[in-house]
Amino acid sequence: MTTMSETRESPHPRAGQPARAQDGDWAVEVHGLTKRFGARTAVDHVDLLIPRGSAFGYLGPNGAGKTTLIRVLLGLTRADGGTMSLLGVPVPAQRGRALARVGAIVDEPRFHGHLTGRENLRVLAAARGAGAENQIGPALDRTRLTQRADDKVSAYSMGMRQRLGLAACLLADPQLLILDEPMNGLDPAGMHEMRDMIRSLVDEGRTVVLSSHLLDEVERTCDAVAIVDRGHVVRQGPIGELTGGAGAVLEVQCSDPPAAARALGPPAIASRVTVSEDGLTATLAAGPAREQTAEINRRLVGAGISVYGLRQRRARLEDWFLSVTSRLGEEQ
Amino acid sequence: MTQLSFAAGRRGSRLPTVPLIGAKLLELRKRRTLMIITVAFTVALPVLFYGVRLAVYLSDPARNAPAGTPSAFAVAGTVMDEFGFIVAVVLGATAATTDLTDGMFRHLVVTGRSRLALYLARIPAGLSILLSLAAAGFTVACLVTAFLGHPEPAGVVPVPPGDMIRAGLWLELDLVIGFTVGLGLGSLMGQRTVPVILLIMLEIIVTPLLTDHALPYVLNGERLVVGVAMDQLKPAALAGGTTIGPGGGPHVLHLPPMPAWAMITVIAGWIIGWSAIGAWKMATRDA
Repeated sequence: MTTMSETRESPHPRAGQPARAQDGDWAVEVHGLTKRFGARTAVDHVDLLIPRGSAFGYLGPNGAGKTTLIRVLLGLTRADGGTMSLLGVPVPAQRGRALARVGAIVDEPRFHGHLTGRENLRVLAAARGAGAENQIGPALDRTRLTQRADDKVSAYSMGMRQRLGLAACLLADPQLLILDEPMNGLDPAGMHEMRDMIRSLVDEGRTVVLSSHLLDEVERTCDAVAIVDRGHVVRQGPIGELTGGAGAVLEVQCSDPPAAARALGPPAIASRVTVSEDGLTATLAAGPAREQTAEINRRLVGAGISVYGLRQRRARLEDWFLSVTSRLGEEQ
Repeated sequence: MTQLSFAAGRRGSRLPTVPLIGAKLLELRKRRTLMIITVAFTVALPVLFYGVRLAVYLSDPARNAPAGTPSAFAVAGTVMDEFGFIVAVVLGATAATTDLTDGMFRHLVVTGRSRLALYLARIPAGLSILLSLAAAGFTVACLVTAFLGHPEPAGVVPVPPGDMIRAGLWLELDLVIGFTVGLGLGSLMGQRTVPVILLIMLEIIVTPLLTDHALPYVLNGERLVVGVAMDQLKPAALAGGTTIGPGGGPHVLHLPPMPAWAMITVIAGWIIGWSAIGAWKMATRDA
């Protein structure tokens, strides 16, 4: 359970996607999940509901417990408490059945370097069982690895290994894909390609859970997100709703940005202020943004700071994430 | 999405499937260095040994013994046993650890396949490589002994085919022990180097010391070492054909002979015990 006082919304698919999932129709359902490593609690009574047929981002800073939760879900390590199900099948009780239609990349995708990409997939297909062998060709085609499938994996770039990891997921013809930091090590073109691939998988009705700290990529790819910090899920919901509640963002170009930041509080007029070289960015509190913008301008001019420009824009996921995590920091 | 008929029942089975064994076999046999070492110690070694003996014999047949004498068979068997055990340990420890070190273990666990099945698949895969190559090398020794052992030096009795078969089976059993113990210890420790060093020390230092010295008060403890039990089970043909002991084994023993049931219990205990330990660790390891 989250320890935050805010009401948690259930995640919704993006507009145009299937309607909100009904109870019992979750791709991932987690209640009270706890995992400890000695005295440290890596996952602390987490509740998480991920609807089928959506792209769901699981966000958090490094060390927040993202990968641990994924490892517990997949049976890579044991939970200390709580209940879980994947595609409606309880785990770990029926782990084999649950994972039959689940594909996952956990951490950096690594393979037998002395085998070719195709041979690595053959090894995994043999473990998957009937039908998976037939998926090797289509999976290689889809991840655009066919040309290099007979090269040893030791000669693959990081991006190719990520694609091979995705191909390994596709062997299961998965209804659910759990991808842990799939953009890591990819160049911009590779990220774009991975994003398109994930969206196309979701468009086919599959569920993709994407763990990442690359907020921009998550915002472009996912329908809904959950933020995890210090083992807790602190917020979750559709991106539009979450960022809508975060208030607008005001970008200010001005002289002496540090002094300008001081002029904005106290009393604080913005929920968060970030100083940059040529100005500052203020995340406005929920409410009439025009009035707050005018008040900011008045304060800066009153403090003798030259204002060169004011630009208001919609809050992005990153702004919301930072405002949430900074508030968390203040609450500590 | 296409509908695949994944048989959840079989995926959950704790027994490995033929494709799973084949996949592990593929993974092992594609390790070039490992295969070179395995072939060198199991096949090339007896070929080289008998090749040199044949060359020496042909250079002066009047002064040199033929290539395939019983004593040469015993020496070849002992050398194949010592090096074969080491390569069995290396192969077992490699089979146990490469999924972990290469980062494939997570991928395999995520398939939902039983971890026990993943572990058990390594045994037939590794043994099929090891035992077939060892059999090929031993066949060379048998052929040379059978066809290139004449004329025998005075007083030497040729090795009967039955003794050769017994020697071959004993040798293969020793390799099975080396492989399964290497596999179990490798799985337990999660790495290859230390188990290999420990088991080589057991084979070439500890076991010879124990088989040559009956330690007062701890005799039964000595007998629990698998090498001691195997030494007592050693066929006469591998001991130079000079002695006869239990099961046709030698009686140049420094330890009082073990009853057959005790030998079998110790040997089976090592194989089953280390397999169980390795499987338990595999089943409970964080991936």
